[in-house]
Amino acid sequence: MWKKIYIWLDERLGFDDMYKMLLDRPEPHGNWWNTLGSASLFLFIMQGVTGIFLTVYYTPSPDHAYDSVQYIMNGVAFGWLIRGIHHWGATLMVLVVFIHMLRVFFSASYKYPRELTWMVGSLLFLLTLGMGFTGYLLPFNQRAYWATVVGTNIGGVVPGVGPFILKALRGGTDVSALTLSRFFSIHIWMLPATLAGSIGLHLYLIMRHGESAHPTLDD
Amino acid sequence: MNDETKKKIKEKYEAALQKGERFWPDSIYKDLLVSFALFILLIGLASFIGVHPEPKVDLTDTSYIPRPEWYFLFLFEFLKYFPGNLEWVGAAVIPGILVVALIFLPLYDKNPSRHYSKRKFAVGLMSFIVVGMVFLTIKATLTTPPQEESLVANSIAEKMSLGQDLYSIQCVECHGPDGYGGEVVGVEGLEGTIIKPINSQDEMYTRNDDSLMSIISYGQPNLGMVPFGGAYGGELSSSEIEYIVTFMRYTWDDRAEVPADAVTSAIPALAEGEVPSYEVHISALVKRQCLSCHREGKENNNYLMDTYAGILSGGNSAPNVVAGDMNSNLLQLIQGHELTSSDGTLIHVMPPNGKPIKDEYIDMFIRWVEAGMPETAAEATALSGE
Amino acid sequence: MASNRISRRDFVKVTTAALGSIMTVAMGIPVIGYLIDPALKTESGEAWIPLGPLENFPIGTPTPFSFTRSNINGWEKTVNSYGGFVIRESDTDLVVLSSVCTHLGCTVYWLEDKQQYECPCHGAHFTAEGEVIDGPPPRPLDEFEYRIEGDALSILFKKG
Repeated sequence: MWKKIYIWLDERLGFDDMYKMLLDRPEPHGNWWNTLGSASLFLFIMQGVTGIFLTVYYTPSPDHAYDSVQYIMNGVAFGWLIRGIHHWGATLMVLVVFIHMLRVFFSASYKYPRELTWMVGSLLFLLTLGMGFTGYLLPFNQRAYWATVVGTNIGGVVPGVGPFILKALRGGTDVSALTLSRFFSIHIWMLPATLAGSIGLHLYLIMRHGESAHPTLDD
Repeated sequence: MNDETKKKIKEKYEAALQKGERFWPDSIYKDLLVSFALFILLIGLASFIGVHPEPKVDLTDTSYIPRPEWYFLFLFEFLKYFPGNLEWVGAAVIPGILVVALIFLPLYDKNPSRHYSKRKFAVGLMSFIVVGMVFLTIKATLTTPPQEESLVANSIAEKMSLGQDLYSIQCVECHGPDGYGGEVVGVEGLEGTIIKPINSQDEMYTRNDDSLMSIISYGQPNLGMVPFGGAYGGELSSSEIEYIVTFMRYTWDDRAEVPADAVTSAIPALAEGEVPSYEVHISALVKRQCLSCHREGKENNNYLMDTYAGILSGGNSAPNVVAGDMNSNLLQLIQGHELTSSDGTLIHVMPPNGKPIKDEYIDMFIRWVEAGMPETAAEATALSGE
Repeated sequence: MASNRISRRDFVKVTTAALGSIMTVAMGIPVIGYLIDPALKTESGEAWIPLGPLENFPIGTPTPFSFTRSNINGWEKTVNSYGGFVIRESDTDLVVLSSVCTHLGCTVYWLEDKQQYECPCHGAHFTAEGEVIDGPPPRPLDEFEYRIEGDALSILFKKG
């Protein structure tokens, strides 16, 4: 019975080809530093999963955001765990992505033929920081609010277009309900979608060119 | 880069692959172990450190020190080095250049060598930037003054309890412990004013939470009520006002379903023969019944009751309580006996509004003094065992 | 060497499966608890609701009343309105009916000309005493327990 189902699916999906294409690839001898990329992906998935579940109770409005987060922390079974993982996952993700980037830099893995992999990768790093910045406001507590006031003001000092950037970031002149809902939208739709797409491209490029070998003295 | 070099690089990579490993199972195994370690780390951080509770947004709280998330601290600190008119250089130009430089690194880094010994400039520059970022982050952390901790209520029950504490300090002098109001005694400028009940059905049904919060915040100048909101010169933050309103709503509004985990009495009752302790009973009792006057900045004969030591030894007519002495000032006064101090001034009956505290609370004070005024619950248990 | 290679593969397979399952379970159980948590909370409570003096409810005709209760749902206080009819047959003999249709919870109203309650959703009718005349409702309208103290009528509101 199971075999029949497997054969039926394999005929259509091609498990064997998938196995060859995705898993049974030759690679240069790697070391533990090479695991940071997949660790970043793992953290991205964890953030995605916990983030999706947080939206079950979270409400992005100044009147409710704080109380709904308090409710997640204290009123819902395991809410503290889901939020705790999301909170610490953000910190770890920034750290791991950054160290991953340094590893690639110091082993010069960004050189021919992996230039584009690096460029997509550094975009991923910036997107991760963007996730951190937009996610920080969502609990709408003192820390979040003031950090966002200061953070968006930094965008506002650009000569000429500063006031425009400030208003575009905040959705008006003040940090308000509009800021919260646009940060929410950016945090849960726009950035994750861009991140997921860029991760796909990044992974495709890695598979296409293979993992880089560690540089030796004659490289 | 010419085709020759490209070919060489490819050949070398092929050679490396020959001596290499397979993605499955070799690499995946390591990846998995690292991811699993991160997973354990995350669960550990979430379980044992958790998320620091932060107070709700309060635009009137001017003492709050804004700080970004730690990974932006270096940028935050970096901006300190730019005078006002050059701020845009530090905030936009330099980070902008760095970001562009980072993204397009492979396009202008024409050095074909990969080993770090042949890339001294690149490695040196990046190390300098990273060390700089770490330095700025550490410096920002060290120079951040500690944030003043504020009370954060986690549930409606906790809000009610904190609200009652605040009510007992800020509101009781005029509105009484249960909101009945009546004649004000002993409040400067309002002496003798009759205050209408605020716990009535009328009041509770016709004022919603927002309007109660506004009243507490602005006060009612025409009726003599001073503002309590921090924005108008009072002592309370907006969260604290919200706690008071939560307390009022759930205690006095008969339409409100009180949450099951709400504490019905903040002052634990005494069992037969149990010795009360400062820690468990007396501090709670004092907070509700005495502290609104017997704290810093009020007229109270310098008798500050906010600490154990203060209760024992504070005040102009100290000591007000002596272990085992049933004639201690405090016990006499709460039982309605006026006293004359050594310099001949009259000490009023407590509380001064002529409404004595409940008998069970008087009894609690008496039993505490009688047993020798134990501070901790453990001491009290030891005493009741005798 | 070959057999060694295969046993290593098997070892990795087993480890992958084991660690993968541990992570799935370690996340899965809390997540399920998190999602179904509201369904596991029991809400119960009762309160006597004063409806005012008896004379407000004339004998013979169903008189509507309503009251509100506030309730905490998560972090939000929800104020719910409830209503019903008092049917007074004599001085002390009365029935207090809930106006919630026993079919799917729409609010019924009193038709003076037909002397019936009608439900606007599926057209059910009830007699003045709450018995089903026609339509899908499975049982008569629910009754409130009541008490009369002196002249004042109160009903017992039960939740959950």
